[in-house]
Amino acid sequence: MRYAFNFRDIWAQWPSIAEGIGVTLMLTAVTMVAGLVIGALGAAGRVYGRSWLRTPLAAYVEVVRNTPLLVQLFIIFFGLPSLGVRLDAVAAALIALSVNLGAYTTEIIRAGLEAVPRSQIEAGYSLGLSGTQVFRHVVLVPAIRIVYPALTSQFVLMMLATSIVSQISAPDLFHIASIIQSRTFRDFEIYAVIAMVYLALALILKLLFAATAQIAFARR
Amino acid sequence: MSLVELHDVVKRFGANTVLDRVSLTVQPGEIIAIIGRSGSGKSTMLRCINGLESIQGGRIVFDGETVNDPATNLRKLRQRVGIVFQSYNLFPHLSVERNITLAPRVVKGIERDAARDLAARALARVGLADKIDAYPDQLSGGQQQRVAIARSLAMQPQLMLFDEITSALDPELTGEVLKVLEQVAKEGMTMMLVTHEIGFARRVATRLIFMHSGRIWEEGLAGDVLAKPRTPELATFLDAVLH
Amino acid sequence: MIREFSLVDIYYLLLAARWTLALTGLAFLGGSLVGLLIAVLRVSPVAPLRALGAGYISIVQGIPLLAWLFVLFFGLPILAGVRVSPWIAAMVAFSIYAGAFLGDIWRGCLQAIPRQQWEAGASLGLSFADQLRYIIVPQAVRVAIPPTVGFLVQLIKNTSLAAVIGFVELTREGQLTNSTTYRPFTVYIVVAAIYFALCFPLTQWSRSLERTFRVSR
Repeated sequence: MRYAFNFRDIWAQWPSIAEGIGVTLMLTAVTMVAGLVIGALGAAGRVYGRSWLRTPLAAYVEVVRNTPLLVQLFIIFFGLPSLGVRLDAVAAALIALSVNLGAYTTEIIRAGLEAVPRSQIEAGYSLGLSGTQVFRHVVLVPAIRIVYPALTSQFVLMMLATSIVSQISAPDLFHIASIIQSRTFRDFEIYAVIAMVYLALALILKLLFAATAQIAFARR
Repeated sequence: MSLVELHDVVKRFGANTVLDRVSLTVQPGEIIAIIGRSGSGKSTMLRCINGLESIQGGRIVFDGETVNDPATNLRKLRQRVGIVFQSYNLFPHLSVERNITLAPRVVKGIERDAARDLAARALARVGLADKIDAYPDQLSGGQQQRVAIARSLAMQPQLMLFDEITSALDPELTGEVLKVLEQVAKEGMTMMLVTHEIGFARRVATRLIFMHSGRIWEEGLAGDVLAKPRTPELATFLDAVLH
Repeated sequence: MIREFSLVDIYYLLLAARWTLALTGLAFLGGSLVGLLIAVLRVSPVAPLRALGAGYISIVQGIPLLAWLFVLFFGLPILAGVRVSPWIAAMVAFSIYAGAFLGDIWRGCLQAIPRQQWEAGASLGLSFADQLRYIIVPQAVRVAIPPTVGFLVQLIKNTSLAAVIGFVELTREGQLTNSTTYRPFTVYIVVAAIYFALCFPLTQWSRSLERTFRVSR
């Protein structure tokens, strides 16, 4: 039986696809910012904090990194309501994605902090800077520069992982795909197209990060 | 009143006693050169004066304040004690200007333009006014070290500590750094230098200290001590270093 | 009819974890074959082959695993002309996906072996294949063990996505249990705990392997 590929029906759905892209990008952007903040704080806590801070942070990192994102998502979206916390799909998605990314960024930034030579830190203190000032001006920027490739790789992975929120019917690109599937019955074509769209998004994101590196780390 | 006083200072790293009851007094305006073999405690002594290292015994007093007292505000103290390290420790992600203006702006609250002027003047003192917008990796070792000196001078300290600042430099770059040190000395700064540059010490220092096994072994006017070593240890050391 | 969540459910969840491990094992096997090929392509002296390997990695890593699952689930039947079970679709998808990541990791390990080793082999007259087989790969394998074990953890977590195409592993069993007991929080916490029990020991092992390796170097 010859299967007649029909992509025309898919192109006709372009507006819906665009909406899906929008939601995916929004989820990615918000998660990235949240992930960065959690990561910077978490890393600082793990490197400079006392044990009452370091232990819970270590537990957070280990639990999140050793359990699947899908299950974390289900716990937040399906599980929390039975504890009285009712969230809509997008809110649950953002929380799950941010908490997940935060565990990875904490570890990545922590490696960066530990890579800054001790002598730099001593020089900072010797000039009369306080601990917070040394962290902000002497340690943080070089640390992020060191781990920039690892950090941005994680961000790209996260953008692709947002597809998972389709499983709680958040209206992201992947969810739109299943809607279009039920409209057009072109199973293979729609997912092939969506796969290509993700590939393009990943490429654009990588280029954006490369450009940002040029600008942010440029000589001023 | 003396600027720095060390009273029977004891410093241990684990089981190793690095400073063994060191006592010393430094008056304002003095240039103290400290020489000795590696491991004799010279660098450690400097690092104790600005609180980078803690001590296990004795007292260190700077301008009336006890450095090793836990109640002392080390941040405030370090604004008045400058230190330049062997490995310059310039901040690689900041330009020369920002390396120098960081502390004045962030610690003293000086405005950006005023801070830039401060940096320009500090750089002029070390002969690098034209490098104000360069980055550390664009400079030679000697230039980086001079920037490091300018960075410390910009905080207008009462005391400058120099921890073997020419040891990591190629020989031909050492001269430019020593010239700067002479200039700073002429301007009346109180300085304590750990150095291997014996000739420089003889020319510039008001007092020379030879350390051995964590103690001050010999002390006196630079010319006298170097010309007439009273102990075999100093004689052996000078022999090794000058030949 | 709603049932109470009880020890029996935990038992069934643990049984379902077997399928998680089975899928992980098969995916690792399939992924290893692909990964080996990709790694060799990436270090080949022939530029077009290197580009092929790089292209494969970029494309596979640039598409979400979910998309791979669906594309193959709907696409394989078209290719093969027959209906494809979730097993086969999952297997192929995970092998393709894991192959890209393992290939990239192993490429890194091969490249970690200093140039001089290759040159020594070449000077002895060994072909590229022989150099790889007798000199480079044996050394690279040691370097590769920690990150590969680390990737196994990723694989175990990734198998949860097979639930989406109907494959009954641990996560799907969790969904089914939830639909009869209506205790989502308890059910998914237990599911997470089982995954943690599977993954955490591997994570720790990978770390200790890395430490041992670093010390012996």
